[in-house]
Amino acid sequence: MTSTGTGEPVRGRSATPWRRALAALVLLVSALPGFGHDIPGQIRVHAFAKVEGDRLHVLLRLPLTLLLNVDLPKQGPGYLALADIDEGLSRAVRAADKDIRWLENDRLLTLAASSARISLPSDTSFGSYASALALLRGPRLSTKEYVFWNQGYFDAHLEYPIGSPSSSFSLDFRVAPGLRDRLKLDLRFLSADGRERAYELNTDQGPVILDPRWYQAAATFVASGFQHVLLGPDHLLFLVCLILPFRRLDGYLVGVVTAFAVGHSITLIAAAYGVTPEGAWFAPLVEVLIAVSILFMAIENVFRPQLQRRWATSGLFGLVHGFGFAAMLQSQLQFAGSSLLVSLLAFNVGIEGGQLLVLMTVLPALTLLRRWVPDSERALAIIVGLLCGHAAVHWLTERMQALWKAAELAADWLPLVNIGLLLVLLSGWASWKALGSLRGSSKSGQAPASVQR
Amino acid sequence: MDTRRKWYLGAALMALLYMVGLVAQAQGLQDDSRRNRPRHRDAPEFKVDADWPKALPNQWLVGQVAGVAVDRRDTIWIIQRPRTLTADEAGAAQTPPRSECCFPAPSVMQFDVRGNLLRAWGGPADPGFLASRCTPAIGCEWPTNEHGIFVDHNDNVWIAGNGGGDHQVLKFTSDGTFLLQIGKAGQTGGSNDTAGAPNGTPLLGNPADIEVDPANNEAYVSDGYLNKRVLVVDGQTGRYKRHWGAYGNVPSDADPGPYVPGAPTALQFRNPVHCVRIANDGLVYVCDRLNNRIQVFQKNGRFVREFFLDRATLGNGAAWDVDLSPDNRQRWLYNADGENNKIWILERLTGLLGDTFGRQGRSAGQFHWVHNLAVDSKGNIYTAEVDTGKRAQKFVPQTNR
Repeated sequence: MTSTGTGEPVRGRSATPWRRALAALVLLVSALPGFGHDIPGQIRVHAFAKVEGDRLHVLLRLPLTLLLNVDLPKQGPGYLALADIDEGLSRAVRAADKDIRWLENDRLLTLAASSARISLPSDTSFGSYASALALLRGPRLSTKEYVFWNQGYFDAHLEYPIGSPSSSFSLDFRVAPGLRDRLKLDLRFLSADGRERAYELNTDQGPVILDPRWYQAAATFVASGFQHVLLGPDHLLFLVCLILPFRRLDGYLVGVVTAFAVGHSITLIAAAYGVTPEGAWFAPLVEVLIAVSILFMAIENVFRPQLQRRWATSGLFGLVHGFGFAAMLQSQLQFAGSSLLVSLLAFNVGIEGGQLLVLMTVLPALTLLRRWVPDSERALAIIVGLLCGHAAVHWLTERMQALWKAAELAADWLPLVNIGLLLVLLSGWASWKALGSLRGSSKSGQAPASVQR
Repeated sequence: MDTRRKWYLGAALMALLYMVGLVAQAQGLQDDSRRNRPRHRDAPEFKVDADWPKALPNQWLVGQVAGVAVDRRDTIWIIQRPRTLTADEAGAAQTPPRSECCFPAPSVMQFDVRGNLLRAWGGPADPGFLASRCTPAIGCEWPTNEHGIFVDHNDNVWIAGNGGGDHQVLKFTSDGTFLLQIGKAGQTGGSNDTAGAPNGTPLLGNPADIEVDPANNEAYVSDGYLNKRVLVVDGQTGRYKRHWGAYGNVPSDADPGPYVPGAPTALQFRNPVHCVRIANDGLVYVCDRLNNRIQVFQKNGRFVREFFLDRATLGNGAAWDVDLSPDNRQRWLYNADGENNKIWILERLTGLLGDTFGRQGRSAGQFHWVHNLAVDSKGNIYTAEVDTGKRAQKFVPQTNR
């Protein structure tokens, strides 16, 4: 039995060698790779929004396939009857105005003027605002052209009167909400001061502030960081594993969690400022390492938690998780406006809030469980370790495949060699732990003596 | 030595072995792709992606894959021949079923770059298609032996056929709605016909492939297994615009006899005139399959130059289908060679050999009767194999060059 300098020793229930062997077997067998099914196809709507004088000009390009319900007039096998299209275009404009709502300081803008046309699928005018505007102001498609009803574009120029060019504008994009993330809006917002921002929005994701003030961006990112911890099962499991052996919230546990927070803050901010490798292998490598971190914690909890060093492992894995948070943040930074640093700090605050909530939920639950079921320490460590380890091995297998593919495509083997080395060292360490633990049990007939805080 | 040290040592040894294995594997792969052969130092290298395409749904199986095309959104279309499946291959479709799998897949299939099937329609294996969506009554005569496929700048799908009476090219929307037929099944009018079909379009002679010029919506047809010409028609109406033979000559249907290596260069195409492809700079590349050459023209049919492939190739010839690299200059021209079963990489403007890859075989990355190819915007090459090849493959450019 060993003891840390500050902890109180607790005697755990013995887990026999065969139980451990069985547990390891279950862990391995249940880690067979799963097969997913990709949902094919994605529809993209393109738009420019420009604040100019007392108007918000919106140039919109919708694939015709989205206008099924507008029922544009047709001829022949399904060509649009371009000579009789005006009424249909008006209906399409009304539908677009209804489903793509623009707001100024939370006030819904009202459409004042519009023009619309049909374009061929091969038209590339929406490459820039100027060429899209030229297309919409130019002559319409000849009525002699043949456009199949679902193979082309509906283009529109919508004008909304605004109170002030410096107002806060937001957008609520909810065309065909059932398509969810299969329908995306590529938006370029050109503000009154000449700045251009690009957004990629899913349909029905709620109103988005296009050029937010710093406090608006901060609020968005606090919520985003908070959600990311609570909705990201890998970070959640890591946290659970991290605090599992602890019995109460004391200065040491706060230090362990703080080390994790410091670790991930460093890499998160570094990544946001572009200090990450550019190879396609990097993101999958981070994902692999996150799975490794959970597996490491799960194994350590089952066999011999080294609590006196947990702050160090916590900080180290915090660095890895920070890159993971950063990968998620990449798609969110579009909502930061010009407040990048504020948004980053806010995101971190959100993450800390989420972690705190996990801490405040899991610790009391563990304490209650230990009171109800005395001597449940080892059983708890093994059950939670198995569940977390099981998930981690699943992720590890899937993510290794992704990493392998990325490295193979880039013909860059260095990350694979590194990760291979890391995994081997991890397995060696786990074997050593296991052997030490088995030896300890066989000698003393009881659980390995670890210290539970 | 105590147990702990033994474990440390064991782990270190395992790590060392693992690293050696990985490095050896990586080295082996590179050695294989850099084997001794003449090659241009800038020529791209390719590696097969054996995960493409993914397993088909509905217990579908493809027969000979005659054509492959990439559309402007980088989705990949193939046209395949469900009727070439043998009874044991289409075991579940027999009466009574003789095995658990498989059923013939529809003739036209669309995949994404990851190999997921997005859409499938057309042909005898698509229930009701030949009874309602493509019938002679509406002017649509589905070929008995599907051949090339092309998807134009407006997402329309063009297909050809080279079966016994297949003298037609068909145009569909991307979801398989019939739009236009050029030519008439069962009727052919030689290499100089201009408007012999009942709908006023030219009669064809076993057309092989199609390409539509986005600049003016003109459709170029390599015509074909029976005729010996390149034919240009209006992409909307199918009406005749112009045509030419080898070297821009008026085509002649006289039988040139078998190809003989070393004999004087043929002044006419041999059958089949197997491909036609338009480069960004307006040059038109035509596969003269049995003459083992690619002839280059301006869009008006004026001859520019020709490249010879392996002139000793007999049998089915070496020039089957070409497509171009996606860089702005389209520096490289890829040629599918179904007789030597490899892909030629030529410098497009000079015709100099850059490299080749592939060989006869049935493993991933090898070919049997590689018939067509197409290149996407990332430079991936997709190939289609007929005879007993019956598959499509994807080749990914290696970026460490």
